[in-house]
Amino acid sequence: MVVSFKRLACATALAGLAMTTATAAAEIKIGIVAPMTGQLASEGQDMENAVKMAIDAANAKGGVNGDKISTTTADDACDPQQAVTAGSKLVSEGVTAIVGGYCSGAVLPTLKIYGDAGVPFVIIGANSTKLVAANQGNAFLANSTGDMQATTAVDLFKKNGYKKIAVIDEGDAYSSDLAKLTAEAFKNAGGEIAAKETTTAGEQDYSAVVTKVKSSGADAVFWTAYHAGGALLTKQLRQAGFQGGIVLGDGNNSPEYLEIAGSAGEGVFLLSPPTVDLLSGAADFKAKYKEAYGRDAGAYAALSHDVGDLIVDAIARAKSADQKAIIEALKASDFKGLAGEIKFTDKNTLQTSNFRPVIAKGGKWVADE
Amino acid sequence: MTLDLVIQQLVNGLIVGSFYALIALGYSMVFGVIKLLNFAHGDIYMSGAFVGLIVFSFVGVWVGNGWLGVVCALLVSMLAVGLLGVVIERFAYRPMRNAPRLSILITALGASMVLNGSALALTGGRHFAFNTDLGFAGLDVSAVHITYTQIVLVAASILLMAGMQAFVSRTMYGKAMRAVSIDMGASRLMGIDVDRVIALTFFMGSALAAGGGVMAGAYYGSVHFFMGFIMGLKAFTAAVIGGIGSVPGAMLGGLLLGLLEAYGSSLPFVGSEWRDVFVFGALILFLVFKPTGLLGRSVVERV
Repeated sequence: MVVSFKRLACATALAGLAMTTATAAAEIKIGIVAPMTGQLASEGQDMENAVKMAIDAANAKGGVNGDKISTTTADDACDPQQAVTAGSKLVSEGVTAIVGGYCSGAVLPTLKIYGDAGVPFVIIGANSTKLVAANQGNAFLANSTGDMQATTAVDLFKKNGYKKIAVIDEGDAYSSDLAKLTAEAFKNAGGEIAAKETTTAGEQDYSAVVTKVKSSGADAVFWTAYHAGGALLTKQLRQAGFQGGIVLGDGNNSPEYLEIAGSAGEGVFLLSPPTVDLLSGAADFKAKYKEAYGRDAGAYAALSHDVGDLIVDAIARAKSADQKAIIEALKASDFKGLAGEIKFTDKNTLQTSNFRPVIAKGGKWVADE
Repeated sequence: MTLDLVIQQLVNGLIVGSFYALIALGYSMVFGVIKLLNFAHGDIYMSGAFVGLIVFSFVGVWVGNGWLGVVCALLVSMLAVGLLGVVIERFAYRPMRNAPRLSILITALGASMVLNGSALALTGGRHFAFNTDLGFAGLDVSAVHITYTQIVLVAASILLMAGMQAFVSRTMYGKAMRAVSIDMGASRLMGIDVDRVIALTFFMGSALAAGGGVMAGAYYGSVHFFMGFIMGLKAFTAAVIGGIGSVPGAMLGGLLLGLLEAYGSSLPFVGSEWRDVFVFGALILFLVFKPTGLLGRSVVERV
């Protein structure tokens, strides 16, 4: 009697255990990978907030396929080594899909991890063309790639009559890639590259580079890296009396750029990703974001929010949490979000470029007509 | 290189070099007295810039964004961050003073991370604008425009360093500092309050770094939590080149490093991406061939 009672207790406990694991497995978990610390922590915070906002909205409507969605965030610090750790952590936690990725240099080594595990991965910010080559078919680039930006840049140079360009990058995968692509595209279009310089991230003094650019006789500067350096470079170029045009890559789209550059930023061109301020339908999102997180939505907030919606949409269309089905669903995406259309090519990149040139006027970015 | 380019790079090198020198001085003084490479020093510089920015935005309401505001910010920040240095020494380094050298080195790394992480948590990783209104007026040397701001900046850092040198070589406390640096135990026996001398060293070193931070923030117009990292590394390099432990060595090392960067990156066929190669290449060469630096004296290793 005693023995059988023990057996019963054992069986009940086992059954209970099996039930809890079963419910845990049914829950859909989305991994968010973004720089939560380091130089670009501010962008990472925006990405996490905006994706969570989209997921929370989906959960409020009852989740997807009847399951609630949870999120887990891993910090890649925009550092390749830490990104590998963060990526392995997400995979071992058994996430259904992963979204995020800001710095191409940090995303690149993780593609193999996600690819081997077969996890669907939608990349929000990172857009180096190297990512396209390393993609195993499970990753999707929701931002326009570097070569699309290079084309937009060359069009802008030609439109403004720039003939000699100085290209400056920060030496990381993203900015050096964009610098190289733009330099090639501009040469092919008959332009001249007066100087090609590289700075160190986190540095405050750009005087040596500024002096070289000035003496190279360039009539415009193209800065391909991020806003922190961009603002300092702009300021120091103008202080040194550089009169030519200044064009910035998409990494500079931050209100901080205009704050720091101040009056030196006036008239500067920016190849902008689809940010909230430039999108007609995003006013509501902007207000909600500010209310929820007490800060302004940064450059990639709208796109991050779209990607959050996109992944929910893909899981709904896949009708299951099966990763292969989700990847197929993502391939067939025909999604219209705040930041525009998301449809993928056969290489899982965007079909249409989402870059648009804007100009700084009166301390604000406005569309360049 | 044309003459204009030579003069322009001289100006560039002297400005960035005086920042390196100010920070290197604190590194050197602390190393001289307790043989610790204070890795938190770059973060002290960053803290100084932030305190300066806060003070500047408060006093700016009354005195405007001109020189007076910057000077107020400089003085308050030097005092406050000097005290921060003393607090760090008291709670992080003093309990470790008799521990093996490696332990205290790791404590210094920890202190650096605490400062850096707190700044990140408090600022959310944002870059803050330090908008001063110092004007563009200045002198024209050949085709090179040198603003009064740049002249004042270099002069102020030389003045601060000269004051420090005078303090160390002329005053009673300076003498006590040198005594502690030579033999801590014997100094204690001679009636020197060693703890107090070490605290004073940290105060002065940190105040100098804070001064550098405020000046850099005001000059470049931007402050962020990561700004101390590269600066810390370069100042360490400057301290090694000049001879770690030596006050005039730190000044010389800083200025030389600034000039090396400026001229190195403007050599023909050498891109600016080689700038840090020159800097850290010089560090390695000095560590291998002349670890005592240009003006340092050899330190007897106490094991």
